[in-house]
Amino acid sequence: MSPLAAALAENGPDSFIWWDWVDRNRDVIWDRTVDHLRLTVTAVVIGFVVALALAALSLRFRRLYGPITWVAGVLYTIPSLALFGLLIPLTGLGFRTALIALVSYTLLILVRNIVEGVDAVPDAVKEAADGMGFTRGRRFVLVELALATPAIVAGLRVASVTVVGLVTVTALVGEGGLGVLILDGLRRLFPTPIVVGTALSVVLALVLDVVFLVIERLLTPWARRSARA
Amino acid sequence: MTDAGSGVAIRLVGVSKQFPGSSRPAVGDLSLEIPAGGLVALVGPSGCGKTTTLKMINRLIEPTSGAIEIGGVDARSVPAPELRRGIGYVIQQIGLFPHRTIEANIGTVPRLLGWDKARVRARVDELVDIVGLDPQVLRRYPSELSGGQQQRVGVARALAADPPVLLMDEPYSAVDPIVRAHLQDELLGLQRRLHKTIVLVTHDIDEAIKLGDRVAILNVGGVLEQYGPPEELLRAPATDFVAEFLGRERGLKRLALLTTDDIALIDGPVLHADASPDDAQELMTKFAVEWIGVLDGDVLRGWAWARDLDGLTRVGDAPTERFHAAVAPGTPLRETLDRLVLSSTRVAVVVDDANRYRGMITIDQISEGVT
Repeated sequence: MSPLAAALAENGPDSFIWWDWVDRNRDVIWDRTVDHLRLTVTAVVIGFVVALALAALSLRFRRLYGPITWVAGVLYTIPSLALFGLLIPLTGLGFRTALIALVSYTLLILVRNIVEGVDAVPDAVKEAADGMGFTRGRRFVLVELALATPAIVAGLRVASVTVVGLVTVTALVGEGGLGVLILDGLRRLFPTPIVVGTALSVVLALVLDVVFLVIERLLTPWARRSARA
Repeated sequence: MTDAGSGVAIRLVGVSKQFPGSSRPAVGDLSLEIPAGGLVALVGPSGCGKTTTLKMINRLIEPTSGAIEIGGVDARSVPAPELRRGIGYVIQQIGLFPHRTIEANIGTVPRLLGWDKARVRARVDELVDIVGLDPQVLRRYPSELSGGQQQRVGVARALAADPPVLLMDEPYSAVDPIVRAHLQDELLGLQRRLHKTIVLVTHDIDEAIKLGDRVAILNVGGVLEQYGPPEELLRAPATDFVAEFLGRERGLKRLALLTTDDIALIDGPVLHADASPDDAQELMTKFAVEWIGVLDGDVLRGWAWARDLDGLTRVGDAPTERFHAAVAPGTPLRETLDRLVLSSTRVAVVVDDANRYRGMITIDQISEGVT
């Protein structure tokens, strides 16, 4: 029997969540939740900006798309612990290291969704835009990215949910948001913070998912209308 | 409408296009004068470079050599996006922006040109009227419209900034024949009011003949086989290729373009009601017919059989029937011929609004008019 399971068994089902602890640590739990959200949002925003630049580069110079997704794919498959091991000698413990790791996990899905979303824009629409005198930049932003919005937002949803889960792991480099609670519980063989940290992390993921769903609906009213003929 | 956007002439001088990796030029040394306010149809089989030629005018394709002048200005002297904002462009797949309302779609070029909101809005309202759209559609998205409505929006969007030139690439290939005929008629009406210079690409010779006041027939490799008014092409095809491309019913197609005004009418076997049956007999013998037309003054009453004149003192006493093929001046000869062949007298009569007799057309005259 593992030590955690033993502790759980010893304390019995009544103390699986110790509400007293929750009540006393309300401020800490709140702070950790805010930290978690901050880390997630920062990582997704930076990831989106970097992915946008990489996607624009891939679309402009088609040859780069393969290498870019290959590198992003390698980053995506490196286990997070290994990545921290690589980063700590370079960037030390803390926010920066956590952020670099988190951002690197968003790139593959975001670059791929942006490029594929833009690729799916019908040729006729692009030709019409050119024919009407859009400059290249304007066409990219006002027509191609706008039309790729559903694919891009779908990528952001997956990326943010993934990041919410990964943030807990960054507790190992001194960040971690709700991961700090989980790590704390594991160290002390005390289940309450583990359960609270896990539950809130899941809730955060669900909330972000809904937020992106609402954003998508607001940004793409055109995508849900169909022919009345 | 102001005259600001009235058409300007387009000149292609020795234009050619060689795509990289292809052995033969898509368009080779093409020269073409498109008059201001004209509607020129570029027609030919696939591979004849008609679309390439069109796209070289707004520089979606850059010519390999030669020059294109629009309103006397070299197209290359202006940055391409700026040039294109002054040229309307309509394509077969329409290419409306799916993420923008119809109103925003129509207002695209004015917004690119930096017009203020009120001016764009006013122009959109005007265009809805010009192309015959229901203002209700303005708030909708393209996917909510029928193909015919989308095509009208496409034309409205192309006309939005009142450009002097309109380029149309197979604009009606994707709509069904009934809607197509309707949209073609609308384009002709539009052209009469707006006097744009329109260059239209089509693979359909009938569309080219119907719409173009000039037709350019291109052969594979962008070789100009013949360029002129459709009536001229049908009357005197310059090459075997043109004759073949115009098709088997060249004579009938030409009849659709000619009217009763284009041929000399004859007086025909027609007499005043007071004339004697003997005079009538003389006329009928001359024209080798068995009937006589009867006039009251200069109004055409109808016609009577020769046998009904027996024993009468004046032609006007015989029972008359109306001419089946009575047509107004300016009626297309094809329609006139259709009525003529179905009539008992085998002639068509031309009468004005007040039924005054102008003259007669026989099948021989129609035939002479075509050859």
